[in-house]
Amino acid sequence: MTSVGSHPTETGRRDVVLAAREVAKHFPIKEGVLQRVAGHVKAVDGVSFEIRRGQTLGLVGESGCGKTTLGRVVAGLSEPTAGAVLFDIDSETLAAYDGGSSVGDIETAHKVDALTGDAYRRFRRNCQMVFQDSFASLNPRHLTIDIVGRPLRVHKEASGSGLTERVVELLEQVGLGRQHLYRYPHQFSGGQRQRISIARALALDPELIVLDEPTSALDVSVQAQILNLLHELQQANDLTYLFITHDLGVVRHMADHIVVMYLGTVAESGPTSAIFENQHHPYTKALLGASPDVDAAEEFTGLEGSVPDPAHPPQGCRFHTRCPVATARCGWEVDDVVRWIEDEPGAAGRLAGVKRDSAFAAELAFDDAATAAVVVDAIRSGRIHASMPEAVLKAESRDSRVDVEFGAVPDVELSVRGPGHVAACVHESLLDL
Amino acid sequence: MVDIPHKLPAVAPSTESALRVRLRRVRELSASVLANPTTVLGFVLIVAMISMAVFAPLITEANTPDPYQMPRDWGALNEPPGTDGFLLGTTNTGGDVFYGVVWGARTSLRLSLIVVGITVLVGVLVGSVAGFRGGKFDEILMRLVDVFLSIPELIFALAIAAVLGPSFGNIILALAVVFWVKYARIMRAQVLHVKANEYVDSARIIGDSGWNIYRRDVFPNAITPIIVQATMDMGHIVLVGATLSFIGLAEAGLAEWGVLVSEGQAGISAGRWWASTFPGLMVFLWALAFNLVGDGLRDVLDPRTETAR
Repeated sequence: MTSVGSHPTETGRRDVVLAAREVAKHFPIKEGVLQRVAGHVKAVDGVSFEIRRGQTLGLVGESGCGKTTLGRVVAGLSEPTAGAVLFDIDSETLAAYDGGSSVGDIETAHKVDALTGDAYRRFRRNCQMVFQDSFASLNPRHLTIDIVGRPLRVHKEASGSGLTERVVELLEQVGLGRQHLYRYPHQFSGGQRQRISIARALALDPELIVLDEPTSALDVSVQAQILNLLHELQQANDLTYLFITHDLGVVRHMADHIVVMYLGTVAESGPTSAIFENQHHPYTKALLGASPDVDAAEEFTGLEGSVPDPAHPPQGCRFHTRCPVATARCGWEVDDVVRWIEDEPGAAGRLAGVKRDSAFAAELAFDDAATAAVVVDAIRSGRIHASMPEAVLKAESRDSRVDVEFGAVPDVELSVRGPGHVAACVHESLLDL
Repeated sequence: MVDIPHKLPAVAPSTESALRVRLRRVRELSASVLANPTTVLGFVLIVAMISMAVFAPLITEANTPDPYQMPRDWGALNEPPGTDGFLLGTTNTGGDVFYGVVWGARTSLRLSLIVVGITVLVGVLVGSVAGFRGGKFDEILMRLVDVFLSIPELIFALAIAAVLGPSFGNIILALAVVFWVKYARIMRAQVLHVKANEYVDSARIIGDSGWNIYRRDVFPNAITPIIVQATMDMGHIVLVGATLSFIGLAEAGLAEWGVLVSEGQAGISAGRWWASTFPGLMVFLWALAFNLVGDGLRDVLDPRTETAR
């Protein structure tokens, strides 16, 4: 392998601009006067990907899936709870890291939240970010020249009239001009403000720009303009993008590689063409169906329900609670029964208590024996889910109590589906379903 | 890709400069403050009363040795207003009401400036550190603030001043101890609110220092409610100060409106209305004036209305 961090002062030579390895970000849930930690919201729960120089990675998922949190961790705005974000690393070193050799040395040289001094400043210069809300991301009391010129001032790149000229150049690059120098953010339209955000992100000539839903708040026609602009800037400045969006259609033409996130984990990841041609995860398929401007090949049941509580992610496959093609192997658990009792009005009586032995086995208590019998019947007959009877090991009522146990299912791991294409689904393929 | 040109139509270059734009903004803001007649009334009153305070030695000759003690003429007790040499009459101890009213303005200005100055400074500092840094300091501080806020401010100030002994200096101290808490709480809430804006994240992304982010992004966007509150308190503190001196926590004979009202109250039932009425009116006008201006500032400085301008 090449020596670790061989050229600590050089940058822009290595082929992987950014690599995430099992990145997790958990937020503690605090309760009571003493602010005791009662649990964790697992916003990001073990995500890996890498972005090669000059490419665009599309990070896609519903709101609440953790994509924005992941973007903030990547940009160094918050520290990961576990895992590593490695910046500017070559493939061989990354392979060595994945193989477990020289982990400590590699992290010292590349791990974003471990960088100090010059190395940290170099990361800060080379990783910029554009936010969704163009109004909130510009200080309302600063003029355009202050906003766009600020990175140059902070890094002592320019001052005085040199600074003004650099800012004008940057504004012209994003389709604005000298006449916009002395205006406040509120004097611009949403699209123009987003151009100012982009000009600010370009000011330090960065390698990577994290784009967090940069077009979601804009009109459709303006969206196209901003996407075109981002595309042109990428060509002209040899930029690498991490493009975060909830809309697969937006990244279809820009991304080289797509990572689909669900509830803090990767559901599917692969080259853009592969993702669009042959989805291996029903969630990806549902997302595609949700974008009206993408011609989904066949009618597919849309997504029902909302994203489950990330403090208690479902067992097995995290998507099984909403999946249209879920099977007995997908991780049916006590929570699925509890949710059915609570959510289906009139289906069963009140649940008085749950005594859990594990996520898969518990004793449910009801007010009367009749309700208990209804629940047992619902589990066994497949009324809750057609594939549930096959997964259940035990469902018996004793008076007003129900003992229920499902076969324990491990988390569904990502498996290879094609070159660079992985998905976390129990189905080999979705084509026959 | 969709083929829409991203360049915007060119506009003739302007001859703007940052200074000119900022001056214009200040002009626009002042114009909108002064567009409200009640705010203008408040301003006129404030200017008049502050002029009275500043030029007090020119309006009436300063008493010696202590100009803040009302001169007493034991040969002219309970003279009604308009008596030769006593424009607003005298008290039952021969105190010159006109002198008390004029120099009382000076006492009030001194009181409100010192108290507002100290409390804003301490409150903004404490609130900023608590909100910007967070952590243990923030938690301890906010519990302390809760304790302070659970005691009514007048009672709290009264207790402190009573313990320290009757003097006007102690009233100032007591009010300072009581009032900083309010500013600390407002500032902390503002800092937390502003800190959550993405322009603060943007400043971190470009690598600016914590101090610069506070100075350039957080402070300017957090401070306006403090300005409004401080303006209101310039009036409110004189009201509370007069209350404390009325019940006897200032030195006797001090040229202060509350003291004067207190000296005159015994005569009201006997028809000697002037010794209490004129200083009472001054307290009222002082509080009213700063409230009017504070209200006007709030309307203009409110960031929600500001963006629409």
